[in-house]
Amino acid sequence: MVEVAANIEELTRSVEAITKSLEEHKYICSKPIATAVYLAYHLNKPILIEGPPGVGKTELAKTTSDMLSLPLIRLQCYEGLDEAKAIYEWKYGKQLLYTQVLKETLDDVLGGATGFAESVERLHEFGDIFFSEEFLEPRPLLKGLKEENGCVMLIDEVDKSDHEFESLLLEILSDFQVSIPEIGTIKASRQPPLIFLTSNNTREISDALKRRCIHLYIPFPDTDLEQKIIQARVPQIAPELRRQLVEFIQELRTLDLKKVPAISETIDWARTLLLLHAENLDTELIKDSLNVILKFQEDIENVQSEIYSIKNKIQH
Amino acid sequence: METTLANFIRALRNANVRISPAETLDAMSTLELVGYRNREELKRSLSLVLPKTIDDKETYDACFEQFFSFKNIEADIIESSIEPADSETVDQGGDGNTGNGQNSDARSPQSPNKKSKTKKDKQDSVSPKLTEELGSGQTSLATSTLGTLLMTNSSVELTLAMTKAAEEINIRDIEVFTQKGLYTRRIMDRMGLRELNQEIANLRASSSIPDRRLAQELTRRTDVLREQVRDYVEKQFLLNADITGRRLREDLLRRVKLSNIEHRNFRLTQEVVFRLAKKLISLHSRRKKNFKKGQLNVPRTLRRNMAYDGAIFDLHWKSVKIDRPKVFAICDVSGSVSNYARFMLMLLYSLEEVMPKIRSFAFSSDLAEVTELFKRNDIETAITKTLRDYSGGSTDYGQAFADFRKNCLEDLDKRSTIIILGDARNNFGDPKTEILREIFNRSKRVIWLNPEPQHSWGTGDSEMRKYSVYSHQVNECNSLLHLERIVNQLLLVAS
Repeated sequence: MVEVAANIEELTRSVEAITKSLEEHKYICSKPIATAVYLAYHLNKPILIEGPPGVGKTELAKTTSDMLSLPLIRLQCYEGLDEAKAIYEWKYGKQLLYTQVLKETLDDVLGGATGFAESVERLHEFGDIFFSEEFLEPRPLLKGLKEENGCVMLIDEVDKSDHEFESLLLEILSDFQVSIPEIGTIKASRQPPLIFLTSNNTREISDALKRRCIHLYIPFPDTDLEQKIIQARVPQIAPELRRQLVEFIQELRTLDLKKVPAISETIDWARTLLLLHAENLDTELIKDSLNVILKFQEDIENVQSEIYSIKNKIQH
Repeated sequence: METTLANFIRALRNANVRISPAETLDAMSTLELVGYRNREELKRSLSLVLPKTIDDKETYDACFEQFFSFKNIEADIIESSIEPADSETVDQGGDGNTGNGQNSDARSPQSPNKKSKTKKDKQDSVSPKLTEELGSGQTSLATSTLGTLLMTNSSVELTLAMTKAAEEINIRDIEVFTQKGLYTRRIMDRMGLRELNQEIANLRASSSIPDRRLAQELTRRTDVLREQVRDYVEKQFLLNADITGRRLREDLLRRVKLSNIEHRNFRLTQEVVFRLAKKLISLHSRRKKNFKKGQLNVPRTLRRNMAYDGAIFDLHWKSVKIDRPKVFAICDVSGSVSNYARFMLMLLYSLEEVMPKIRSFAFSSDLAEVTELFKRNDIETAITKTLRDYSGGSTDYGQAFADFRKNCLEDLDKRSTIIILGDARNNFGDPKTEILREIFNRSKRVIWLNPEPQHSWGTGDSEMRKYSVYSHQVNECNSLLHLERIVNQLLLVAS
């Protein structure tokens, strides 16, 4: 355990160290990303990551957990998510069952008690057994707090959840604790979790939440970075093809499309081309594999008529 | 150094980036972690902690560049300097200053008769001349505070001295651009220009060549410094005053009558309108539920409690969602009211996120739907086109209502809100109130916004009295403030 801690200490020593070890885990990142992880770890603050879909927001959390060899606890947000599913819930079934059992042995429990007042007193001794940690079903967020050696917590697509849920998160984000009315406050273990929140910007996140987080915006990568990413992710692909493919994608991003291809699509495309044993990016090949990078028929049709001109642009 | 950060945050706030005290604290801990050494790293780190939206990040970048850009000073002086008597001179300057802004300490320990000076009287003491020859024999040593400072080649010390002097003359009170010259001179004076000039004059009169050389060099460096100070004042002006002034103007714009807004202020007004819209959106983007008091939603409750063996733990209540309003905006765009129409349409269309179903109509005599126009063009062009195409002709409300009835009376239902913007001055034509009554009966709300003050309603050819009978709500509306209030209400009651 001490080793792990020392290891983490070593890994997060500086921005460069983080960049390097993320790279070792095949996550090529720009400086702002590494700086964000560095600050988050040292300031004990959650990171709110925004950016277009598919630029590696979720991936960053996953890779960080790999890198630090900490468990990843993930919570996918959706409309209607509430504390019963995100933080904790009472084990109602167990409570009922125990009530039944208790009913049968009630006589033993109350054995010898005379009069109502005494019985009630005996019962009081049971106190709040039914609302103790025994009967508490921890959900992801609470689980994350209780993790002994710390963990990486990923709250994915927080913009999909309701406003109420956002407010629920505030306590965890600022103080790493959860208040359960029946029990009290549960604080994080010695090492508070490293929290990542991601958002696709479908709606504005409240100021209160933003205030508690480091705010990282991940844009689409530039050509160099994207090439490096492809190199790390699909190392078998030939350098020339890689260059063509990345430049083609970069050109596509400048077009007016319903959904522009993201890094994940570039990677998929690289894999597809590898599978097809392509050596060069020719028009036919592009036409046939467009559906890997574009997800709307409308976009595919638009681009098909443009392939030639885009290809011309990247050749020179 | 914390003052620098605080000032930077002040500048950011001035540039409309919202930064809370909590974030200021974060910035301080960040600073402790990364330090001031690496400018790029500092910029990157603070940009993660301070600005929290993409727009803010852009503003932040610009601000940072402007705020932390002293490094030119060093480059300038060194670049243009003719080899000063280097080693000794540098040593001398290096001894005294500890880099905490105390420029009065910057004297070398070789001048024993220097008193430590307080802020107030620091430039008054006249020191005896030290014209001792240096080993290299090129130039003499400068004696005045500022002179020594100039000759040390230390940009940091010079910057600190400048910042301190600026602080002392309250540079941040600068308000209008005509004050720039004044503040530049004041900073120079505060840094000890008079003493320096005196020294230069003495040196010039001296017969020794190194002295004269020094005089020359000092004059040159003073000019460079003046340039820097001017730059600095400029920056401070941009960071502080310009925006304070702007805020004043924006505040004014919200209150002033829309028809009085001059053309050159349109752009700014537009920004204010957009900001207003953003505020309203964030206020209303959350779809509210109204719970019907005490009505149990039985199916939902049963379904949810199946997991608990059918014991009813978790109760669910019936509720209704508050709906987005379906808005029909009818705007009089004839000369007298066109400006109001401009800003109202602008506001309504900026609210697309919370008011997706909006149809708009423009008329002066004949009414035409301009919804498509707004869909296809950006707001500004659409408004200009609308005003150009429809604002001619004398106002005829009767005709406009008749057209409206013909075109879209069927589309009205109990969820529609009609907003009519106009002064109700009908040129003594037939007001056709019966049509408005029809509209009134079919729709949820009819809101009439009249830019004229209430006391002139019903005077002359105004038909406001008649029309107001068939409106659910009648408001005087002639400033952005009014407009904001009304739209806010509209979103609140829409259900």
